[in-house]
Amino acid sequence: MLRQIKPRTARSKRALEKRAPKAVENPKTALFLRGTTCNQITQDALGDLYAMRQTNAKRFHKKNPVHPFEDASSLAFFSEKNDCSLILFGSSSKKRPHNITFARTFDYKIFDMLEFNLDADTFRSISQFRTKKVPVGTRPLMVFAGTAFESPVPNTFTMAKSMLIDLFRGETSDKIDVEGLQYVVVVSADEPTASATSDDPSSKPVLHLRVYLIRTKRSGQRLPRVEVEEHGPRMDFRLGRMQEPDAAMLKEAMRKARTTEERPKKNISTDTIGDKLGRIHMGKTDLGELQTRKMKGLKRDRDPHLLDDDMDGAEADEGLEEKQQSKTKKRRSRAMDI
Amino acid sequence: MSTATKEKLTVVVDKPTPYTFDLGLLLANDPNPLSIGPSEREASLAAIARDGAQSLINQLLTVCPISSTPAGVLLSLPPAQTPLPREKPVPAPKAETKWSAFAKRRGIAPKTREQRRNLQLNEETGTFERRWGYKGANKAGQDDAIIELKTSTEANRKEGTTVRGDKRREIRERVKRNERRMKKNQRNNAK
Repeated sequence: MLRQIKPRTARSKRALEKRAPKAVENPKTALFLRGTTCNQITQDALGDLYAMRQTNAKRFHKKNPVHPFEDASSLAFFSEKNDCSLILFGSSSKKRPHNITFARTFDYKIFDMLEFNLDADTFRSISQFRTKKVPVGTRPLMVFAGTAFESPVPNTFTMAKSMLIDLFRGETSDKIDVEGLQYVVVVSADEPTASATSDDPSSKPVLHLRVYLIRTKRSGQRLPRVEVEEHGPRMDFRLGRMQEPDAAMLKEAMRKARTTEERPKKNISTDTIGDKLGRIHMGKTDLGELQTRKMKGLKRDRDPHLLDDDMDGAEADEGLEEKQQSKTKKRRSRAMDI
Repeated sequence: MSTATKEKLTVVVDKPTPYTFDLGLLLANDPNPLSIGPSEREASLAAIARDGAQSLINQLLTVCPISSTPAGVLLSLPPAQTPLPREKPVPAPKAETKWSAFAKRRGIAPKTREQRRNLQLNEETGTFERRWGYKGANKAGQDDAIIELKTSTEANRKEGTTVRGDKRREIRERVKRNERRMKKNQRNNAK
């Protein structure tokens, strides 16, 4: 925990305001650091991810004696000290070679963590691809392919997806230049096989992270034809240990701030055609005044003189019984007789 | 010759399960199962990437409003839909002071920018003058050579004070009172 600072100058006040909680948040800053044992391949992979994340990234060059899944308190400290909420920690050991631990923080506390075990054989860094490189700070398109990401219950794959979106989404803006749609980050997950439940790490489905440049061609139609060219890096991951977010923290972190944008009005909807539909309350319907089927026989008192003549005979037949009935019932039975 | 025979390039992506998009994040989800063998892995991954990029660009160019500006052709993106965790908690709403509670109850609107401005038009001279501060209108008349005394104020005048500086003392008093109120509000909100 850092000591609480009371700003004494306007400059320090501005600096504190910059990192204070906001309704519309700053883009997340990512921190790239390494453990005491981290081989060159893992460092290269971290360096490539750092290059892709530029302008909102910090990098430590010294070794840090941290084991995130045993004690992540120093990661939380780094997060607070540097105001970073994404942490990528590279390490390599005999048990877990080429390991990148991805941690996110909420309110400078560890939110969730997931291990990405890099496949060293298939790894190619950005510099190994001889293509034009995209300018720093360009937002990538993102594609997530595979059924594993569509799981309705949170698992390692959905967490990996959420983390990778957080890593690559860049500075969110409501407008983007069409010229800026230059490259695409594609993450494809292999199909989970039947043997995936076993603990053998080599049987787990692999995540393929690929980055391609987008080339557009005239197609003779309004939309262009898209072709891709690999830009690098090329990384294959197996997902390792995970630490899920605490339920209370998750709820707090997923809360949305009230903004000035209009909230949806109740009972007003738009259908697929674009027509506005409203649902209104009509009040209680009085069924007593319900108009049923009209029949000639059910009409009352159209010609009172004529009716009276007929009535005499009918009433005489029924006699006493009818007098005991209620007034309404009497009227109804009379109508039926007619 | 060659242009006439050139066939149109396809821009439509046909997949058994349709893509879902989150255009605010420039994101496409391809829920179709992957079927790749180890031999042609890179080629099939590139094919998946091409289809994904094509359909995402199709979606962006058809759904988002496009505007041409001198800076370039801009796409207006919708807000992002995918829930991602925040970095810091939602800020707490500003604590209510006694005055703001009263103003809300009475329906008193906050002062406008124009009302807060330290310049006002002097109707008599037709010039703009400051409301407060250096040559402020609230100090008018206090340094005149001759000041008329009021019998009521002179009757309860404090020992050792004269009419000179009365205005200044009044302003000091008001500032102090406001500070006391501010502290009280802070104390009450901290509870």
